[in-house]
Formats: sequence, structure tokens, C-alpha cells
Amino acid sequence: MNCTSCLERMTELACGKLDEKTAASLRGHMDSCPECRREFATLTRTVESLDALPSRAPSERLRAQLMGDIETEKLTLRSQADWATSIRSAARPRAGRRFPWTLLLLQGLGACALAAVGFIAGERTATERQVADLRARVDTMGQLVEQSVLEKRTTGERLETVLTAGASTKPDERVIDGLINSMAFDSSVNVRLNALGALYAHANQDVVRAAVIACLPRETSPLMQVSMIDFLVAARAHEASPELRSLLVDSKANGDVRESARRAMDLL
Amino acid sequence: MTSLAEIPVLAHPFGVDWYGGPPLDTPPPIPDHGLMLAVRDGDLDCMGTLFERHHGPLFGYLSKLTGNRSAAEDIAQTVFQRMLKYRHTYRSEGSFTAWMYRLARHCANDYFRHSSAAPIAVDPSRLEQQVDGASSADETAAAREDHALLHVALGRLDRDDREVLLLARLQELSYAEVADILECSVGAARVRAHRALRALRDLYFKLQKEPIT
Repeated sequence: MNCTSCLERMTELACGKLDEKTAASLRGHMDSCPECRREFATLTRTVESLDALPSRAPSERLRAQLMGDIETEKLTLRSQADWATSIRSAARPRAGRRFPWTLLLLQGLGACALAAVGFIAGERTATERQVADLRARVDTMGQLVEQSVLEKRTTGERLETVLTAGASTKPDERVIDGLINSMAFDSSVNVRLNALGALYAHANQDVVRAAVIACLPRETSPLMQVSMIDFLVAARAHEASPELRSLLVDSKANGDVRESARRAMDLL
Repeated sequence: MTSLAEIPVLAHPFGVDWYGGPPLDTPPPIPDHGLMLAVRDGDLDCMGTLFERHHGPLFGYLSKLTGNRSAAEDIAQTVFQRMLKYRHTYRSEGSFTAWMYRLARHCANDYFRHSSAAPIAVDPSRLEQQVDGASSADETAAAREDHALLHVALGRLDRDDREVLLLARLQELSYAEVADILECSVGAARVRAHRALRALRDLYFKLQKEPIT
């Protein structure tokens, strides 16, 4: 160890960041080198003074603010996760009112199904396995979509998930809820647009139309709003009239959006 | 006959507190990394534990870096807010402390850019009142003066030097992590820390010869 090497590592020794072997080597050199020893003594004294600088704790304001932030974030996450579910449950009774004979029909079909059980018993094991396999695939898809929304992964990853979910031929409720969440909450207009595009295939579902109608007034992107209006026209969503009328008379709304709303009102 | 109400009820009849000693099976504390991974996966309450562990040292670092207590609190708050906001960017192979101080560095840079503040007050009356280990009035006064001089010396140091020096003094950070935070090589971090410490020493000793008036 010479003076140059010793000087280079001296700060690390003073800061306690040297391994024992190198530290011993430096100390060995300083034992025989008064100049390095003097240099080290002054550096050590400076470090000790720096460490001795008193530091009071921050005020309680810091803790209170962070706890508030955590609670706000938790509420946001919860509301995002619950949103599609609430839309779905809100849409269901309307479907029931529209088709009051559905229950009777289902009861009749159920009776027929019970009679057919004996015939298909031999096939049951294979069918159950197939159903379980399909459900597992759909569950995975649902989890992917949910996680992509909740964990806020990169835009590319979220977009890829939405596109994959959109390509699914038989999506279940969770996949559609995930797409609705993406359309409603994703920070990227591109992801929201693609989620809306993926929802076209399910425009016949009340929940999907209800979600688009609910999102229309709170959407900030005019491009997205125009696309939503096009969606509602394509879906023949007559129930969107109040929201379209509100947009039409909203002086703060974008001109293209208002024009789209007017055209949609005419078409519907 | 003793009524039921008179029988003392043990708070934890089969628990760990009845014998008055420390808990028998206290689980080891969850490491920061595990807590942050839990936060990333949606368990936001773990952020409270991380706050309790780290807000003190973080505030101390920012307080010395900016020389402004109020600004240090604001920046610390922003750091924790960003930890919440960008929790999905936390990587499984990362070090929590390094990640937190990297965020702190960016937040502090934002503060300096927007405020163009000249850090560290020269007025010794604004310095902390407590002085550890000083028993007599003379020693207290001497220590206060010493702290005042060091505050001034820190304030006169280049911001980059002050930053590398304060990071290098954090026990929980290795030089590799300091280098990672500063986005430079380990060798460069070592050299910068050494140069900064020498610069601080020169300023500090010079001030000791010319005390504040």
C-alpha cells in the first residue's frame, strides 16, 4: 500500500465502508506514514462532526399526510375494482324487467335438463374436465386484466393485455369487467380506445352499454368521447339519450363531440 | 362463594404476555424489500411500516441536503407519495433503500430546480437546540458553534458534493448503491465522495479559524 492508494480509500475507511482486510492494510500504511495519518485524522474528525449534527424528527404533519395518502389510494383501488361490479348489478334488474318470461322458460328448461341427465352421465367426466380447463383459462385471463388495471403496469403491457382479452372468443364476466375497467380508468387514451374497441363484440350486453354511457360524461378525451358515441349508435343504445342530450347542450364540450352527439341523437 | 365476576380474567391466558417477559415467538420483522413487494402487490398498509422505519433518516438526509426543515418535510412527503404512485416500478431484485433514495434525489432535484434555493442558513440561531453529550454550558456553547460552522461549511459545498457525501454517510447504503443512485460507476462515486469530504474538511477548518461574527 502506498500513499496514493491509501488516500484513494481513506474516505471509505472514515465512513466505515471498507472490508476488514483493506481497512487493516490502510491502517498498516498509516502506522508508518505520518502524513497519511494526519490526513486521515482530519477527515475522521470532519465525518464525526457531520454525524454529530443534531437532527430533530419531522413534524407530525408528515405522518398524517402520508396516512391520508395511503387511505386515498386504497379507496381509489377499491372503487376501481367495485366499479364494474356495481355497473353490472345495476344493469341486471333492467334485463329482468325486460324479459319477465325468462324465469318460466328457465324452469322448463331445467326440468328437461334433469330428464336428460341419465343420457349424458357417461360423458360427464370428460365434459367436466373440459369445462374446468376452459374455466381455468378464462380465470387466468380475468386475473391478467384485473392485475393490469390494479397494478398499473406499463402502457405497452396494459395494451397487450387488453388486446389479448379482446381476442378471446368466449370471455366471461371478469374479462369483460376488466375491459370495462380499462376503458373507464386507464390513464392512456390508447389503452382506453382499444378496450372500447374490444367491447364492440359485447355491445349486446346491457352491462357494457351501461358502462359506456356512465363513462361518457366523465371522459376527458374528445377522441374517446366521439368513439364512445359511435359505439352507442352502433349498439342502438336508445337509453343513452339523456347523456347525449347533456353533451349536446354543454357549452364546454368539444365541438366535434357535440356534433357527434347531435348526429347520434338523430340516428337513435 | 366466589362469583364469576370476581375471578381475574387473564388478558391472554394462552398468549405471550402473561408472564411479563418478551414474547416467546415474536416473528422476525419483515425486511423492507418484502414490505415494498407487498405494497406493489396491493397491500398498501405495509407502506405505513416502511414510513415508520425510514422517514427519520430520510428527513435527516433531506434536511442536511437542503438546509431547510420545511422543504425537507415537503420533499420527504413527495418521496413517499411517489413510492405509492410508482410502486409498480419496484423490481423484485432491487434494494428498497437505494430505490427510496433515488426517488429522494429526483424530488430534491425538482425542489432545487424550481426554488433555485441557496441551501443552509448561516444564522446559527436557527440551528437545533439540542446538543448531545455536552454537559457544561461552555461545552454546549462550543458544540453549538461547531454545529453552526459545519452547517455553514455544508452550505458552501457544491450541491453535488453535499449529495454524495450525505449518501456515503448513510450506513445502510453501500458504495455500489450510492453509485446506482447517482447513476455513475462505483469508482466515480468513491472519488466524488473523497473529494467532497476533503472539500468539506477544508471549508470547516477554514471557518474554525474565522468564526462566524
